[in-house]
Amino acid sequence: MRGLFHVTPSGWSGLGFAAFVILLVPELAGSYWLSVFTSAACFTLAIAGVAFLYARLGLVSLTQVGLMGVGGWVMLRLNHGTDLPFEVNLVLSALATMVFGWILALPALRLRGLYLALVTLMAAGGLEIVFATFQFPNGGEGFWGVTIGSSEPFRRPALAQSPEAYLRYVAICALLGFLLIELHRRLQPGRAWAMIRRSEAAAMAAGVNVTLYKTWAFGICGLLGGAAGALLAGSLGLLDDGTFRASESVMVFALAVVGGARYWQGAVIAAALYKILPPLLSTWGVDADLAFVIFGAGLLHAVITAPDGIAGQLRGAIVARFARKERADA
Amino acid sequence: MANLSKYSNWLAWAVAMTLIIGVLSWDAPRPQMVGLFIASGLAVGSLYALGGIGIVVLYRATGVLNFAGGAAGAAGAMTAWQLVDWGIWPPISWLGCLAVSLAITLFYGRLIAPRLAWRDTVVKAVATLGFALIVLGLVSFIWADDPRSIELPTDAIGVRILGMRVTATRLLVFFASVAIVIGIWAFLTYTRIGLQMRSLANDRDLSALLGIPILKVETIAWTIAGVLAGFTGLMFADLIRLEPVVITFMVIPSIAAAICGRLENLTAVLIGGLSMGVIENLLTLSAPLRGVRPIAPFVIAAVVLLWLQRGQRLSFGGRD
Amino acid sequence: MKPDLKQLGAAAVAVLALGSPAFAAAECGANTGEPATGEPIFVGGIHGNAAPGDWTSSTDSAAAYFACVNANGGIHGRPIEYLVENDQWNPEAAAQAAARLVNDTDTVAMVGNGSFIEMAVNAGTYEAADIMVMASACAISECFETPNLVSTNQGPLPSNLGAAQYAQEELGAEHIACMGLNIPNNGIWSCNAVAEFMESRGGQSTPVLINPGAPDVNSALLEALASGADTILINQPAGIALAILSAAEEQDLRDMFNWIAPTPLYDLSVPDQLGSYWHGHVFVNAELAPLNLEGPDALNWVAVLDEFGNEDDPRDTFGQAGYLSARFFVKAMLEMDPADVGDRAKVSEAIRGISGYTSDLMCGPYYVGDADFHMPNHAGYMVQIVEGGFEIVRDCYEYDSPYFERHIAIETELGLR
Repeated sequence: MRGLFHVTPSGWSGLGFAAFVILLVPELAGSYWLSVFTSAACFTLAIAGVAFLYARLGLVSLTQVGLMGVGGWVMLRLNHGTDLPFEVNLVLSALATMVFGWILALPALRLRGLYLALVTLMAAGGLEIVFATFQFPNGGEGFWGVTIGSSEPFRRPALAQSPEAYLRYVAICALLGFLLIELHRRLQPGRAWAMIRRSEAAAMAAGVNVTLYKTWAFGICGLLGGAAGALLAGSLGLLDDGTFRASESVMVFALAVVGGARYWQGAVIAAALYKILPPLLSTWGVDADLAFVIFGAGLLHAVITAPDGIAGQLRGAIVARFARKERADA
Repeated sequence: MANLSKYSNWLAWAVAMTLIIGVLSWDAPRPQMVGLFIASGLAVGSLYALGGIGIVVLYRATGVLNFAGGAAGAAGAMTAWQLVDWGIWPPISWLGCLAVSLAITLFYGRLIAPRLAWRDTVVKAVATLGFALIVLGLVSFIWADDPRSIELPTDAIGVRILGMRVTATRLLVFFASVAIVIGIWAFLTYTRIGLQMRSLANDRDLSALLGIPILKVETIAWTIAGVLAGFTGLMFADLIRLEPVVITFMVIPSIAAAICGRLENLTAVLIGGLSMGVIENLLTLSAPLRGVRPIAPFVIAAVVLLWLQRGQRLSFGGRD
Repeated sequence: MKPDLKQLGAAAVAVLALGSPAFAAAECGANTGEPATGEPIFVGGIHGNAAPGDWTSSTDSAAAYFACVNANGGIHGRPIEYLVENDQWNPEAAAQAAARLVNDTDTVAMVGNGSFIEMAVNAGTYEAADIMVMASACAISECFETPNLVSTNQGPLPSNLGAAQYAQEELGAEHIACMGLNIPNNGIWSCNAVAEFMESRGGQSTPVLINPGAPDVNSALLEALASGADTILINQPAGIALAILSAAEEQDLRDMFNWIAPTPLYDLSVPDQLGSYWHGHVFVNAELAPLNLEGPDALNWVAVLDEFGNEDDPRDTFGQAGYLSARFFVKAMLEMDPADVGDRAKVSEAIRGISGYTSDLMCGPYYVGDADFHMPNHAGYMVQIVEGGFEIVRDCYEYDSPYFERHIAIETELGLR
């Protein structure tokens, strides 16, 4: 049981980084960068879900941004349709997305590799059309809750009314998401996933309920995606279907690989590349179309040169440095 | 037994299509409308199928699922428009379209794809999306947003089919997709390179051991994919619209068509693509589903994939 | 700026069409000829430039006008520093742009905004910060039905009504198929208004909605065909409109319907791209003065762009709207007490006080007023697509629809009627 709460060096650095984001960043950033960092924090949580699924089980989900849209949809619907507090809505949207993810994933669980990825891509394509057709609730009547004209105001959490507080709030939620994944990894599901990743047949022979644990993992991925979408809805107060295209889901998976799916730093790097790099380029005056070119080239370069992602490369560099130092000391 | 299951799939397809067409056309205001929608759907479906065929040919020979085909086609179509705008003889501009699309695809196939050969299939696939973004970014940078259109001489010729005037361009796309399927089938079946391609699709490592010239075979596959992407892009620009973003992301429904053939069976890709186009168009007749009709390819692809997976067999076993 | 051959060509055509008066000296603001040197006044602007569209022409024209004002005495000697952000058609980027311009910078107002989504995302931000936005290229309901936004262009609703009214009065339209985008605050909003208008005239209108994600427009055209309409209103961006018209050409449907469209089709490259089949058969509503008219503001706008703009700044309707927003803003600022021009609240108050500004580019007077909705521009021209360009078929006319009752009430109150 002691092992459960053991904090690795990587864990310490993660907690340190979270503390930095929660305590320091909101004090330093202006309104623009607060908004940028908040959406990056939301996407960190979503990317953590995809990366976890890929690193632990080798399963590929190309529908994570679509699931964020589902979470955001439920959040907006609840926010405009009920008087429940933000936190309750957040939990409900995450759970609803998890169930939605299950419904999509259950029939597909027998598929593997590329074919599973393609089914999730089809789901993302379908969700894109649904969002474009029905739009996101903005305070209207009926099931879809869409009104024409100006949208109703969105209620942010009582604890986090200001943009600074909201960034802290999102960062804490993201930290909880990472802890949830880590906790699972260290308990029974983690061991089952490790076996499934090695060989489904062996895991089955060892009495592991493969379907249950695969579904469980999909559920966590959906839960995190839904929470991320709900938090994004809270950041903007409304959502637009343009954020949730199928190509964005593919992009998020690609970035999770580029960042380094096995490490927490990978999700942070991926979210930074996805949401912080473009505003940075725009601040430097790079044309928006050329920013796409730079972004795409960077993505290709990282996929080619960094097998463990950028996070893996950085860790490798640090380890090598320490090893050199030790050798020099000896 | 294998044969029976093969026919059962086609039977299921026929039953499903009859049912869907029957149900959707039940409320049609005029029976003639159904014909119109089917004829219109076949044209869109041919485009889905063309895109899907390019994807499948390349995937089988190289193991790369190419998301960048649409972007290459968009770059080609924009080049063709530019050449016509400069007053260059149109046939040269069509060749320009194919050439640009081919150059872009070969660039990726020869210079970038080999560096990724060791990665997961899915990672190889998503890497092509990065390349698609580069191409799309450059295309949007060179040609600022403006209403544009491309015309082909075949647009002026037309015949009436099922009550709808069908231009020669639409017929061209339809028959081209059929001809391409037959041509590629013959190529794979009767030529040495085709044999080598099939062997690569079957087992890459073993084929390499046998001394199959992988580089040459792959280059040919990338060439076919590039020319197909250019042709699809040009047809799309003429029949649908000349907007780079729309053409680029047309690749996602094309993948849906490719899935219908399980990424290997070209005939099924063709039939699947055509069925998607027809059903998507016929959904216009249904008031509740009218708004979401573009969803049809995705739903169909998912259903097909799950149908092919029925039973407990892990039919995509082995490496993928 | 992007090297765009087509736009260069279009600009050259526009300049040629306007003839020699285009080279008259630009007149701006106080028109002193002396550069402004004081402490800068910050003004913001947001445009959308990424796939699927380039909506920069309004901020380009506004920037040129502000540069001209700065070279001509500025605002009581103080130059305007115009800060423009790109929302990239992305709601997060739009929110970030507003955060930077409204919260992180001491801007006194936003001028010349051109976007499809920015206004929906930021309407609340503008209201909370009490900053007025004098937008120029607006396409969604938020631009016209929120307290802090006022737009010089008409947007889809009035322009569609104008086209429908022309078809009803001149072409004998009784049943219009309104082919709009399936987006609540754009296509559905404007097609509903067309239906309301047609019912008020004893006719009817059927909405035919196209999903923006759908590549194919043919099925929508067939749907319109099946609706039994006699007139087809192409309430779409130019790219999709071209696709619809070429699908209709394929079916040879030209003579079965009247073809009408709102302003997006009023683009100088459209007649050539459509081809001779359609020349003389498509009627387009122009929400600002057609580009071949040579009123003083029309000439001055081109002169300002020639002298202070970039060579490839588009000479189009949104450009006119950007110029007008900037000119009206500067006029209001110059009428203010010089001590107050750096104060956001006082500038907002001055903008709300704008009433009765006129220009030859606009049919009616421009005003803002203190209301929860603003739509100063609801009169326009009707033009016909002909070979090589457009021909005016109906001069300035005010649109007559139940939708404008509350606007007319305000105009009466302000003494503009």
